[in-house]
Amino acid sequence: MRRRDVLAGLGSVGVVAGAGVMAVRGPPSLDGNTGTGESQPGDSNETDSTNTEPLTIETIDAPGSEADAFRVPAADRATFLDFFGTWCPPCVEQMPALAEANERIGDEVLFMSVTSESIPNEELADWWEKHDGSWLLGLDPTAELTARYLAGGYPSAVAIDASGTVQWSDSGIKTADELVAGIEQALAAGGQ
Amino acid sequence: MDRRTYLGTVGIAGLTSVAGCLDGTIGGGETGNGSSDSGAPNTILEPPEMDLSESSHPSYGDELPSLSLPDPLIDETISTDQFEGERAVLMTFVYTNCPDGMCPALTLRLRRTQEVAAENGFSDDVALLEMTFDPERDTESKLRTFADEQGVDAEADNWHFLRPETYDRAKTIMTEDIGLPFKKTDAPEYDHLEYMFPHYNLILLANKRGIVERAYPNGASIDPSKVIDDVETVVTE
Repeated sequence: MRRRDVLAGLGSVGVVAGAGVMAVRGPPSLDGNTGTGESQPGDSNETDSTNTEPLTIETIDAPGSEADAFRVPAADRATFLDFFGTWCPPCVEQMPALAEANERIGDEVLFMSVTSESIPNEELADWWEKHDGSWLLGLDPTAELTARYLAGGYPSAVAIDASGTVQWSDSGIKTADELVAGIEQALAAGGQ
Repeated sequence: MDRRTYLGTVGIAGLTSVAGCLDGTIGGGETGNGSSDSGAPNTILEPPEMDLSESSHPSYGDELPSLSLPDPLIDETISTDQFEGERAVLMTFVYTNCPDGMCPALTLRLRRTQEVAAENGFSDDVALLEMTFDPERDTESKLRTFADEQGVDAEADNWHFLRPETYDRAKTIMTEDIGLPFKKTDAPEYDHLEYMFPHYNLILLANKRGIVERAYPNGASIDPSKVIDDVETVVTE
């Protein structure tokens, strides 16, 4: 029953893709809704994103941010991460909602945007200022943090509770309400 | 995550992902690269949990399609065959105008493999091949920019962008060699795009014998560490 719903959804995709009617076989795996990937069908031997070693993420000098280093996820509070790229038009569109979410709830968590691109810090800071960033701006030069938490495409957001467990994640452009609701899930989970 | 919730949203995700990149398992029946049903003596990994042998794209135990394509960054022709006996191949298919971030997500899996390979000393045992199927827009300079944006070390010996000479050639490769549906479509919802390519997010891993060890049809969402672990197993065992 549920499986049929799933297959019907994929069929639509196939038609839109211009491939005509094609057989769909096996459990589908679609992007953008699996968070840490825990629920991907057919994918055993998952590496759960809880209980993984925290990483040290360097932040840069930019509006709302300064050159520093942070343990991510934080040990003493919840963490909110936005994964973006300066090359990514939807990431620009995401900025106002991030700014609003940061104003509403940013004080209660470690609130950080992270990019894994190769770009000089000054260019990155210029982009940040141009798009009214006003919170921590972190670098992930090896993409290890990104690989751990990216929930599909860019932009992507994740809210992690104080124990390091992912409580919410989503990719694509989110509203401020959605971001705040995700962060509230991590806060409600506690984990300290 | 609650499984019911997950399944309930799959349909929606399927529709929205049409924006740029499709994901999932598709079957092709007769036209596919058939593989033997019983085991694959030339493989190192155990058969995958999900049997993809009936899918239209290459899967476990199949030969990696033989492709010779220009790498515009070094102005050389790179052939998938040239790595036999030398390197495992991790390969995916993208276009840099991909509007919803799925191609960067695919690239992230290759890029992380490159990073871990360097850390763990198997850089020379793997070739990371990223083919654009949009050669009209993905010029050499565009690919270089994309590499920087994605943090890829495109100068490394193990990284090659592959760029078919023409759109028609790209289409032939995607549909006939790789076995995936392929079509240029309008992109009315994206102001900055004249056209886009709904496509499947496939990553292929072949061993040093040129035999496919894994096809990841959910290549943009699969845990990157799973892919990296598979590559490392294939090159070290």
